[in-house]
Amino acid sequence: MNIVFLQFLLGVLFLTIIFLHLSKKNSNSVLAYGLQSLVMALIMFDSFLVTPNFQLLLVIMVIVIVKVVLAPVFFMKLLKQHQLTFLVNSYLNIPLTLITLTVLTAVAHSTKLSPLTTIIPNHQSLLALALAAMLVSVFLIINRKGALSQALGILSLENSLVVFGVFAGLEQSPILQIGVIFDILIWLVIATVFISMIYKHFGSLDTSLMKNLRD
Amino acid sequence: MISEMGFAVLIVLYAVGALGSLVFHKHNKIANVWQSFFGIIVACWGIIFSIGAFVLPTNLVFTADWSIFPLLNFSFNLDKLSTFFIFTISLVTLFCSIYGLGYIKHFYKKYDIGLLGFFYHLFIVGMLLVVSASNGLLFLVAWEIMSIASYFLVVYDRNEPDNIKAGFLYLVMTHIGTTFIILALLLMYRFTSSFDFLVIKASADLIPATFKNIIFVLSLVGFGTKAGIIPFHIWLPSAHPAAPSHVSALMSGVMIKTGVYMIIRLFFDMLPPTQLWWGVVVLIIGAVSAVLGVLYALTEHDIKRLLAYHSIENIGIILLGLGSALIFLVLGNLPVALFSLGAALFHILNHAIFKSLLFLSAGSVINQTHTRNMEKYGGLIKRLPRTALFFLIGSMAISALPPFNGFFSEWMTFQSLLVGLASTSILLKSVFIFATISLAVTGGLALACFVKAFAITFLARPRSSEATHAKESDLALSVAMGSLAVICLFFGLFSGYLSSWFLAIASSLQSLVVTTVYPISDKLVTPSGSGSVSALLFFIIFVGTALVVVILIKYIINQNQKIKIGATWDCGVNLGSRTEITATGFARSIVLIFAGILRPSTQQDIEYHDSEIRYLPKSKIINFSTDDVYRSYIYQPLKKGIAVLALSAKNIQSGNINIYVFYILIALIVASLLV
Repeated sequence: MNIVFLQFLLGVLFLTIIFLHLSKKNSNSVLAYGLQSLVMALIMFDSFLVTPNFQLLLVIMVIVIVKVVLAPVFFMKLLKQHQLTFLVNSYLNIPLTLITLTVLTAVAHSTKLSPLTTIIPNHQSLLALALAAMLVSVFLIINRKGALSQALGILSLENSLVVFGVFAGLEQSPILQIGVIFDILIWLVIATVFISMIYKHFGSLDTSLMKNLRD
Repeated sequence: MISEMGFAVLIVLYAVGALGSLVFHKHNKIANVWQSFFGIIVACWGIIFSIGAFVLPTNLVFTADWSIFPLLNFSFNLDKLSTFFIFTISLVTLFCSIYGLGYIKHFYKKYDIGLLGFFYHLFIVGMLLVVSASNGLLFLVAWEIMSIASYFLVVYDRNEPDNIKAGFLYLVMTHIGTTFIILALLLMYRFTSSFDFLVIKASADLIPATFKNIIFVLSLVGFGTKAGIIPFHIWLPSAHPAAPSHVSALMSGVMIKTGVYMIIRLFFDMLPPTQLWWGVVVLIIGAVSAVLGVLYALTEHDIKRLLAYHSIENIGIILLGLGSALIFLVLGNLPVALFSLGAALFHILNHAIFKSLLFLSAGSVINQTHTRNMEKYGGLIKRLPRTALFFLIGSMAISALPPFNGFFSEWMTFQSLLVGLASTSILLKSVFIFATISLAVTGGLALACFVKAFAITFLARPRSSEATHAKESDLALSVAMGSLAVICLFFGLFSGYLSSWFLAIASSLQSLVVTTVYPISDKLVTPSGSGSVSALLFFIIFVGTALVVVILIKYIINQNQKIKIGATWDCGVNLGSRTEITATGFARSIVLIFAGILRPSTQQDIEYHDSEIRYLPKSKIINFSTDDVYRSYIYQPLKKGIAVLALSAKNIQSGNINIYVFYILIALIVASLLV
């Protein structure tokens, strides 16, 4: 695949995270995450085309199964099970959220961070966008009050990290990647169970209300 | 044996002493004999080894080849300065260990004797490693061993709640000091890329002058805290008295000097060229510490706290010598710089001897009276005559009375300061005038303080039943105290010969390297040759005068008089312990002169026979105390500030996960931008 197509894929990944910030419906958010994971898998597939390695292909397949299929299905089931209108409340309103996203994207593209984005000079724009995706994902965890949105933020951060790693030529060994995917799968199961239990006990997923648990 | 092997034997034997004490911790007697025996034997070896290493033509530099971490080398450099400190530590350890043999008995069945021996030996090992380490990280490890072991010795008598408090304060202060030391070492590492002292010394020019100044300030605070300079001294008057007396002697006599050792090592050996303001600052701190130390000592009626405050005073006197040496070094007057540093080194040794003697004597008194309160003593000269004699000798030495050692090192310091009075710079002249007056005032006040300490403790009549029934201490205690008393006299009499030894140490340091050969003489001579003092002459005059007075009284004045025993004229009142002047009363007039600094407060409680008319007082109680200005004006506000800051910091812990992730994002962005 050529670089323009890779840029397009990364752009889609970035936009899905922006969408997660703006989305008011949980089901839409889950679908956006599924799309984001698919894009990430495609980017990795490009890496496979450059250096054909069947272990990497295996990793991509596992990613597709876990992130593109299983994770969205888990979340959708959760939504259906509780007939959820899970909270999508955020701390900042839409205009302020957009301003913050712009600032974070600008920070990622600034020359101050060029040591990070010029690891591979040809990929500077791609790395800068991947870095912006990472920062924006972290901000998603911060800005959202709902536990599901925060879980999606963590998964988006993970996707952004993988993409950054691919463009920076920092892919680890396939065994390690499978380990990470397995880790995410377990995390996903535990998070889903916890989210479900929290909702059952407290009738809300607003984590800002849970601070009262301290005492 | 005067090689790295000899040094290894020294350390290993102390380790055996420590571990053996633990092994026999269930047998009080064996544990006591074991720790004292090893203390004595190894200290003797330490003295022999240090003298042997001192006279070697080259330094003993070696590295033990079992380093675990790349930056931590077990490298040692036993130059003249190090061997001098090993000698001082070993000398004091020898007599403290002899003393311990008898003194520790009163801890039997009360505390674990083995544990005392373990930390005692560990403490000595820590001090020996501190003065011999040639690597910053090894030095820090040794510094911690010394500090932690001494902490456990301070809280050894743990049934006293005050001792626990004192130990805690000591631990906090010593680690605040260590923080500053670590910062100084890290700054040196930054520019020289090494923790090795020899490498730092060789590449000290790579450190910019501004950073050298920062290192100076950090080191002065860090090592000054251990040395007990004012205002970082607050731990010292509580911690030193809390420890068992033979440990107090080591802490006050030797441990605080390790801070001075590093000040000398850094500013005279590793980081030259020296700055003029370093000397001025050291001189002013020395002058202030000397005067305030002795003033606070005067207000004390706790005998060990009194001695602890005198340690601050004497550190001040040592700093006066060091400050003068730094100034003369910058001014290019090398002979006077050498003489000043020699004075400081001589006073380090002298103070170690007489302060140990005084602490051991105080321990002997406390052992019998079971209190540190001097108001409960009195008349002990008849019950503890040997202790009284040794305390008197120690008091004379610390009060700088000839022919004892304290006089001669203070004389050398005086001579250095007097040379400074001739400075052309008005600033320097003023600083030297201030320092000279401080030293003169300190000498006078120290004498007054020890007149009080000796008179209130040993003269007049007992003021408590414990003092009435006190008996002379064990032979081991007397041997240790007696030996130190003899050394006080010996070091005084042979001060002229010893001075060449100190000048040789001073001239071995990088900034003071001179080829001058110092003539060995029986008298101390100033660098210009304009002043001199002969200890032997003093001694002859002293003994001659004493003989003349005795002969005059005994054989001429009292020749035809018979001794009549009768009641003392007492104004019709029975003389008793209540009619004697107290320690507080003695000091009151002097304290009132310095009321502006000491801020004394008096509280009177009067009870009347006729409460309505209030004409006939029944009893009158006067509480006379002084305010601890450092606690009130520095440490309490600091403590409040830290508490407020801690409460504000608590708000960071909100319990909201979004906030925590926000912190992570900010940290991530800041770190990325900085890197």
